[in-house]
Amino acid sequence: MFDGLLLLGQGIGHFLNPQSLFNVVWATLLGLVIGILPGLTATMGVALLVTLTYKMAPDQAILTLMCVYLGAIYGGSRTAILLNIPGTPANAAAALDGHPLALQGKAGLAMGLATTSSTLGTLVGIFFLAIIAPLLSEAALKFGSYEYFWLALFGVVISGQMSGSDTPLKGYIAGILGLLIAMIGMETLHAHQRFTFGIQALGGGIDLIPAMVGAFGFAEILSAMKRRAVAQIAAVNDRVVPTLGEVFRYWRTIIRSGLIGTFVGIIPGVGEDVGSWTSYAAAKRASKHPEEFGKGSQEGLIAAETGDNAVVSAAMIPTLTLALPGSAAAAVLIAAMYIHDIRPGPMLMVENPAFLYQVVAMLLLATLANFIFGLSLTKLFIKVLMVPRERLMAVIYVLCVVGSFAITQRMFDVYVMLCFGIVGFVLREMKYPMAPLVLGIILGDLLDLNLRRGLQLTNGDPSPFFTRPISAVLCLVIVITIIMSVPAVSRRAGAVLKRQMS
Amino acid sequence: MDTTNTPGDEAIRSRADLLTALVLLALGLAVIYLSWTMPRLEARRINPATIPGLVPLVLGVLLTLCSALLAVRSWRIKAPGAWQGLAALLVTPEARRVLAVMALALFYTLILVGWLPFWAASMLFIFSFIVLFEVVLTDAPMPLLQSAVWALGIGVAGGTGIYLVFARVFLVRLP
Repeated sequence: MFDGLLLLGQGIGHFLNPQSLFNVVWATLLGLVIGILPGLTATMGVALLVTLTYKMAPDQAILTLMCVYLGAIYGGSRTAILLNIPGTPANAAAALDGHPLALQGKAGLAMGLATTSSTLGTLVGIFFLAIIAPLLSEAALKFGSYEYFWLALFGVVISGQMSGSDTPLKGYIAGILGLLIAMIGMETLHAHQRFTFGIQALGGGIDLIPAMVGAFGFAEILSAMKRRAVAQIAAVNDRVVPTLGEVFRYWRTIIRSGLIGTFVGIIPGVGEDVGSWTSYAAAKRASKHPEEFGKGSQEGLIAAETGDNAVVSAAMIPTLTLALPGSAAAAVLIAAMYIHDIRPGPMLMVENPAFLYQVVAMLLLATLANFIFGLSLTKLFIKVLMVPRERLMAVIYVLCVVGSFAITQRMFDVYVMLCFGIVGFVLREMKYPMAPLVLGIILGDLLDLNLRRGLQLTNGDPSPFFTRPISAVLCLVIVITIIMSVPAVSRRAGAVLKRQMS
Repeated sequence: MDTTNTPGDEAIRSRADLLTALVLLALGLAVIYLSWTMPRLEARRINPATIPGLVPLVLGVLLTLCSALLAVRSWRIKAPGAWQGLAALLVTPEARRVLAVMALALFYTLILVGWLPFWAASMLFIFSFIVLFEVVLTDAPMPLLQSAVWALGIGVAGGTGIYLVFARVFLVRLP
């Protein structure tokens, strides 16, 4: 406990120098701008910035990326409130009540409430990151191949189930496609080349950064440029800074949404949008005025913004302790950590215990910067919204090319980015979620290696996968999740539950 | 976010789902075949339970099953006129805008980069992109001269700015 506090103090002290503070300021501002501009997502921003942090010291690079990530998730609420277009998918729930509030002439108050609830949500997530991560890390040291196999599968299945906006089937298909992409290249157990078709460049497999830049960058550009109409910006004539009473009137909602966001963040691959919608739905169910939701409810806006920001910090729990990304942007952060020789996973607390608390310190600094900029630079950020996308997207595409090329300096990665962009756009238009696809690419190797290594250890006997306690629980959860995604089963289960409760 | 779905959209999506499901079904079957014919490495005395094709084979089977389910589900939805609706979607102004972005991106990436210095290729791309979307592929066209001046300014600033920041300040090699 005291060791943890000491390490946290050291972590904060580590970043209290001009260079770190300068990086916090510019990266948070950039993150806010990325979040504010419709068509640019947090994942895209982090993926593009990896290239720029390539030559930085590891701690400064991760600090910069973390600030961009947090800033973008928070900044998206501006667009949701003023334009009714979520800046990032995570802010879709915030648009439901934020924009009606803006139409009622309360745009400033809506943005102020979004800022304070985002800050409080992040703080709840940070609190649990500092408490849970060391414990989970310790527990994860006992995990073997069997548990890691189920964890990888769990991540893809849950992500497919929860992010499939149309049907879980599409989420599962996206997850399987991601896992198949991860199979390309040399496998690690017997060094055999799979699905390379004699193409030398495919031997090393598909790199995550170009794939992410394509799926979240180029595909976003195509989606943004597809739209013809430009939305009208709501006017901001009222005060931006809310009173303490306005915020803490909803303390129950803030705590509930913070806890929900933290729980969603811990589940690998689920991400901010699910955290935001789940918090919103829970707040509506518990509210004394559910009829106001969707018509400008302050409670709804607070719930959505607290929920999605709590996910950001909580997503770092599986990211750092298990190397399983809690969200799509966290997946890019894992790739960035590997680039900078930081190995997330259970051994992190053994090899580099200070880093976990440095991440906590990074999140605290980013939150503080978000809070200050969010409340003080409102008018300036509205000007950012006026940049025409025609002028912006051309420059963003050039950055996509640079971002894909620079890490391994191969044109092949730029072609990978192009393919993922076009295929990602088509899949997105067909309502296939991108998160399970990306998670599949990340977790594919973990799943494949641990399944076959486990079977190698038992000489082909699969029973330990089902008999070891943690494995058995994970297996059961996966089976129940899949069964519950069958419409007929979930309908019947819902009816039984309703009967039991009445 | 578009949350309004008319019945027409649903019908068209069901047919688009059917098409993608068939493509994915073919992909699943191809993966099964390629995994099944993958070397079993018997000469290296590899345990059959750890062969390289094991996981891809399982994934191929799962992809085939899921896409078959999606195909059946989509086929069962009654969607009169949906095929025509789907075909009409390919010739809308939105589709033209998407195709134009793809064409410009492919031309820039596959031809201009490598043929011209990176900064020059980027300037040309940014200039053409802005002029095309502000003057031609838009509902409210901007005067050509005004758009060209903006495009030139952003092209020069973007092309040289990205080059200077990445190549000179951060010492990253550019294509």
